[in-house]
Amino acid sequence: MEKISRYIMIFIAVITLAIFIPKLYWTVFEKPIRKPIMHYSCISKQFMINRGEKEWTDAKGNQCSRDEYERMLPMMFTKQLLASGTLPDSINGTALDMRAVSREKSFFRLKVNEVDAPAPRLYPLFESRSGRAQLELPEDFFRITWRVDFIDAATNQILEEKSQMFSAALFHNGFSFPAKLISGLPTQRKSCDEGYLIVDSKEQLFHLKMIKGKPLVKKVDIPDGLNFRYIGCVDFKNKDFYAYLVSGKNEIYILTQDDYKLIKWPVDRYDPATCDLKIYGDLFNYTVIIEAEDHIKANALSPDYQLVDTFTESWKTKEQLQEGKIFASIFPAQLSMKSDNSKFVRFYFTPSKGTNWLLFNMLLLVLHFAWLYVRKAKLKNHWVDMGIVAVSGIYGVIAIHLFQNKFFD
Amino acid sequence: MWESVFYKEWLKIRWFIVGYTLLGILCIGYLFLTLKHNFAFTGGKNVWNTMLFQGHQFYSLFKYVPLAGGLVIAITQYLPETINKRLKLTFHLPLAENNGLLLMQAFGAGSLLIAFLIFGGLFTGFSLIYFPIEIVADAIITILPWLLAGFAAYFMAALVVLEPNRVFRFLYSLVGGCFLTIYFASAGTAAYGPANSGLFVLTVLLSIAVVFSAYRFRKGEM
Repeated sequence: MEKISRYIMIFIAVITLAIFIPKLYWTVFEKPIRKPIMHYSCISKQFMINRGEKEWTDAKGNQCSRDEYERMLPMMFTKQLLASGTLPDSINGTALDMRAVSREKSFFRLKVNEVDAPAPRLYPLFESRSGRAQLELPEDFFRITWRVDFIDAATNQILEEKSQMFSAALFHNGFSFPAKLISGLPTQRKSCDEGYLIVDSKEQLFHLKMIKGKPLVKKVDIPDGLNFRYIGCVDFKNKDFYAYLVSGKNEIYILTQDDYKLIKWPVDRYDPATCDLKIYGDLFNYTVIIEAEDHIKANALSPDYQLVDTFTESWKTKEQLQEGKIFASIFPAQLSMKSDNSKFVRFYFTPSKGTNWLLFNMLLLVLHFAWLYVRKAKLKNHWVDMGIVAVSGIYGVIAIHLFQNKFFD
Repeated sequence: MWESVFYKEWLKIRWFIVGYTLLGILCIGYLFLTLKHNFAFTGGKNVWNTMLFQGHQFYSLFKYVPLAGGLVIAITQYLPETINKRLKLTFHLPLAENNGLLLMQAFGAGSLLIAFLIFGGLFTGFSLIYFPIEIVADAIITILPWLLAGFAAYFMAALVVLEPNRVFRFLYSLVGGCFLTIYFASAGTAAYGPANSGLFVLTVLLSIAVVFSAYRFRKGEM
């Protein structure tokens, strides 16, 4: 039992060291990777790139001043150009109406760790036509299991009549309980309420709202085989669409307002499990930025959602830089409880790339063997320790010397 | 024989475990009094809303209570054993060498388990008055690693206190302290869901860690 307890402590020590030593290494040696910021210019019809505090270029690499950069992006720096008196009266023959500029301006961001994150299972259903100037948080919250339950927050009791009314409305529209995905804007900080988009257990898409206390359910026609893994509802001033939807095949769709048309955007190479997504909308274009760990892809779309330009740039990840290569030569793996790609806490195990760490492990093994030889230890009592060093390298060496086995000799 | 070992351990920790349990119950009582106050002053809907969508955890005060319990029980149980090397007496009981020690460990861990079950029962019971099962389940997922940390702290502290060599005692404290941080990663409500089973296994494995220090103690490591 003593031996087992020792190996357990070595295991615990290896886990601890595999978390903390890499963390310490990266704290000391990690260098910031400056990612380019891209916007599509409605003036020069190309992407403009900001590569740092004092470096602005166009897509061809031509340097420009900050003023020139901002003049190429009048929809992004409207206030600055207004302040400096350099905002043009018209662009591409379109007179600039500031109300239209404001109405068409939109921004949506979906960070990679927002997709793999704990989701609430209760939502407030706002009254969409309350007649009040400001939205009011309802007294009850709903969940969708084998039916819809509205639960009064003050008493923690199910509101039976309301629950039955909404359950029946969903059921009569073909809803298959329970819900797989519920998406909305559960906040009062929005211009109006558009309820929730809900995916049922058969991957059907529904829109649920409450108007004057009554349910409004709309089933959205979607092509066969299409399913959605993420829905991000929006509240844009132009009211063109309800949400950005990401399909199971990582395609980006929008759901148009009132006529419920699903429109697929001509954007590829987006994987919500590994990429951040930013979508800038303005009077002339939508700019879709897909940002992965090692590259960025910018897509410019026309107002009718046709692809007009793309730009891709890649860079070395921290693992590909010198400090990353040294890391991969010393440490066999890295363990972490958290990840940039998720809000869940897990044991994130990242093995080092290449085989250099194996050589280092063998070197440590030889040194350990020499140390045993000098001490004239009985080798037959150290085979397991040597196996631990061979597999876990530097973590194992430290662990077996922290929890020594000299008494087992 | 096990009754005698348990009685000896009870005499050592009784005031501490009873006091700790009462303090824990007071802590939970305070949490729910505060919650009741918030329900009265801000309304149930706002309390629910901040918990569901703003990450508010009304039970965050409880975070280090189990950890403190594990440390207190381990110290009160094992520190007296190191004075004048009293632990040697345990090894001379008519029991297999490790069994006496494991009985002591079982008593300490069992006492903590009873305290934590009382805390868990009270917390769940009161929570269900104010919240539906979805919110309560997420709260339990969030609290579970803190409770496991209480056991892990107890097992690690036992290992450290019984370690006879000062240098290694310091090093084991360092490893133990770093290891315990994995139960307290800053994360949102229910974020520990995928990690809890792994943490449970690690905590169970730790339960025989003390045997290693005791072995070194028996063999006269200084």
